[in-house]
Parts: sequence; structure tokens; C-alpha cells
Amino acid sequence: MSHGGVESTRDTKKDEERRSSLSGRPKADDFGRSVSKIAVAQICESVGYQGCKESALEALADISIRYLCDLGKNASFHANLAGRTECNVFDITRALEDLGDSHGFPGASEVGNCLVGSGTVREIVQFVDTKEEIPFAQPVPKFPVVRNQKLIPSFEHMKETPPGKHTPSWLPAFPDPHTYNHTPMWNERGSDPCADKIEQARQRRKAERALLRLQQRLVCNGSTGTSSSTVLDAKTENIQESRSSPFLAVPLQPGEKDVSEIVLPAKLSNEPIKDDHVSLLEAYAPAIEAMKTGPSNGLDSEKMFLPEKRPAVQFKFKTGKKVLGELLDLSLQKKGERSSTFFLRDEERDDKKRRAEFILRQTTEYPMELNQS
Amino acid sequence: MNHNPQSSDGKHDDDSALSDFLASLMDYAPTIPDELVEHYLAKSGFQCPDVRLIRLVAVATQKFVAEVASDALQHCKARQAAVVKDKREKQQKVIYLCLLSFLISFGLSDPLLEQDKRLILTMDDLSKSLREYGVNVKHQEYFADSPST
Repeated sequence: MSHGGVESTRDTKKDEERRSSLSGRPKADDFGRSVSKIAVAQICESVGYQGCKESALEALADISIRYLCDLGKNASFHANLAGRTECNVFDITRALEDLGDSHGFPGASEVGNCLVGSGTVREIVQFVDTKEEIPFAQPVPKFPVVRNQKLIPSFEHMKETPPGKHTPSWLPAFPDPHTYNHTPMWNERGSDPCADKIEQARQRRKAERALLRLQQRLVCNGSTGTSSSTVLDAKTENIQESRSSPFLAVPLQPGEKDVSEIVLPAKLSNEPIKDDHVSLLEAYAPAIEAMKTGPSNGLDSEKMFLPEKRPAVQFKFKTGKKVLGELLDLSLQKKGERSSTFFLRDEERDDKKRRAEFILRQTTEYPMELNQS
Repeated sequence: MNHNPQSSDGKHDDDSALSDFLASLMDYAPTIPDELVEHYLAKSGFQCPDVRLIRLVAVATQKFVAEVASDALQHCKARQAAVVKDKREKQQKVIYLCLLSFLISFGLSDPLLEQDKRLILTMDDLSKSLREYGVNVKHQEYFADSPST
């Protein structure tokens, strides 16, 4: 117990008790101890003290509780000695004399005097007469609170007959057989680990897609020409190929895009689509700007987004495995290099979707490559 | 055991005094609440349905605590007087000191001393007063926070 230099009067004591009760686990006797602390503080105040140290107050409260318990123990001992279970006033008087022996009381040396005229009782009578009455500061509820225990019903109660003749019917009943008998349980649902993995991958892709969409919303689309990337070009190549015969189409150069003309609505700003190869810095510049400006330009970014966005077109992917495999390797390599910036770049929503679907297809055909993503 | 008529009268007086006292206890509200006393007495095996006996135990405990506290208070005041004593040693006012101790025994403070110090119950005074009751309370002066000290 640390000797806190805290001085407490009776009024501040309750706050301290609350604070100390918040720290540490509550013990069983906490309530009784705090009540006795209040009572002891009141007694000290009546004696003439204006304040007390926390540690001293706690020690005195502890000693008063011990005194109380000692009185009770002693009184019950004397009652038992006389062959009774309930105590009476003489047992208490004897107990008081036992406890007061160390300090002394009038008539202690006399042997064989009647307990009624005991010195200790007279002292107490004097004390009550002289001291003014100080009732306890707050109403104390009856404690400890007794909770009704739910007992296990007996055999009689359950209207069961006990299994053996040696077992009386008023004893608690045995538990039901289903609680201890193990019956076989058939798992109806068939488990297919491969299908589970695919499903898992699909859900992961879905989550990734949603996250990408969110990123796109947040990032400001500064320059429109930055959307071109080698990966995307590879994909757009693929897309173009898918329209016609995939193996016969001429592959586009990196940076070039064979895009259809977009008919922009009047309200949107017309920004020219740059076809030339942009440098890395330019590619990341709008993203950096966007990060600086923050999502406040969200609306603007969406507006600027739109010129880039082509009308939703559904493409049918009938590409061969080889092509996909090549492209996927490429995309995965690129991903490894620039995974962090990939999300920052302004991508078209459709392209992202297409890429995600590509990867999904890939996972169905090449389950080993799941680990790479 | 003497069974004189005088002592029997005395016994009757004592009996009546005791029973009167127990009856008066019902009106008196001890500082230690009844519920607390009941709880701790039940814990220690004391069984009694009578409320007056509970009150008697409560009053006995209150008396004990009050005695300890008043002894501690006297120690505290004596300590403060000793401080004053050091201050006035040079003046060699022995008579004044006697008067001072006389005043303190009556619970009065030194009129010449500025009593800006409040009376605080400390472990020091408490352990001194409890020693007379056979309770040894030893309190740590300080704790070393780190093993290096």
C-alpha cells in the first residue's frame, strides 16, 4: 500500500473510493470496506480531525472491521461454550471484557462479579450518554444480496424413477441421454475443395473491384492522357483482338489506342485524348495532385472522369489460352513492380472490370497462379 | 460469590440499568450502520435475531474507534506543540510550556501559535495510539520504484 500524500476529508472520500474501485478488479468485500471507511471517517471527524491520510483511514477501517469480527467470534465462542447457538448480552459482555483486557477497564481485576455490572458495559453506557449521536451519512442497503439458485430438479420433480433401488427419489435427476450419448452425424453438405477455392478467389476479386471503384472515386482525374499504360494496352490489344480474329489482328504499339470516338455531352469539358507515349512522371502527376488536393474535388474528378469513360460495352472474350497466359504473366509482372501506383492511376472503370474478369478466368484455368495474386 | 441483600439490590439496579440501556439503544443511531455490523457478525458466526445486541456491538466498536482516534489526535497535537517548543527553546519559557501542555490536555490550542496547520490523521499517530491497544501497525516510509535504487 503506497502512502499517498492525499489528504481527504469525508466529502472527497467517496470520489476517491469510486476512483480506486475503477482501477483493479473488484473484490468480494469492497462494499463492506468502503462503508466502514465512511463510518470511520465520520467518527474521526467527530473526535476533532479535519482530514485524514488515505492510508491511515484505510488502516483504521480495516482494524475496526477486525474488531467487529473479533467481537462476534468471541461472543459466539462463549455462547457455544454454554451450549447455545444464539448469543445473548452476557456473551457479548464476556467478549468485550476479553478484548478490553489489554487496555484495561474498571473492575477487570475482580473475579466472580456479575456480568451485568461489568465495567465495560458501564463504559459503553457512559460513552453513549456523553457522545452526541452521529447517524451514518447514507442509507445502506441490505447486503450481501442473496440470489436464488436454480437447483437441478429431483427425480420426483421430473417424475422419473431413479435407475437403481439404492438411489432415493429426492436426489437430483440424471441428465438426459442425448447429453452424453454420441450419435453419428452425417454432413449433408458435400465439400468440394477446388470449387471452394475458386469461390474464394471470386469473392476476393469482387472485393478488389469494389475497392478499385472507391479509389477511382477518390482520386482526381487530372490529365486524361495518363490512363494509358502498358498493361492496359496489352488488355486493349486483347480487347481489339477479341472483336475480330484474335490471332490475326495487328498488335498496337504501346501508347497507342485504337479507341472509338466519344461523343461528349455539352456540359463536360472536351479534353483531347493524347495518343503519344507519356512519361512516367506525367502519368503519375494527376494522381499526385489528387492526393494533395484530397477528395474535395471528388465531383470535379468525376466530371473529368467522364470524357475518358467510354459507354459500357460488353465484350465477349473468346481468346485462346496462350494469349491470356502471356498477358497475365505480363500483367502480373507489371503488378509486382507498380502495385502501389496501380490504384492511384486513373483507370477506366470498364478496363478494370475487364482485367478483373480476365484474372478470374485465369484462376479457373490456372489454379496455381492464385498464389501470385 | 456474595449473595448479600445489598449486592442483590445492586444487581437489580444493574439489571435495570442494563435493560434500560438496551431499550435506549433502539433510539440511538450508531455511526456504524446496522447492515454492516450484521454482515460482519454473520461472517464470524454470531447469530442473534435481537436488534439491540447488534446495536450494542455497533456502539462498542464505535467507542473503540473513537478512543483510538482521540489518542491519535492527542499525539498529533503533542507533535505540533513539540514543534512550537523547538521554536521557543531559546526563550526558555518553561512556565509557558507547562501552561501550553496544560492547555493541550484540555484540547485547547496555543493562542499565540498561528494554527494554520489542520489536524490530519496520519499513519504515524495512528500506529502510536494503536500500540497501546496491542495492535502493531508498521508502515513503510517509502517504496523504491526501480531495482537500481
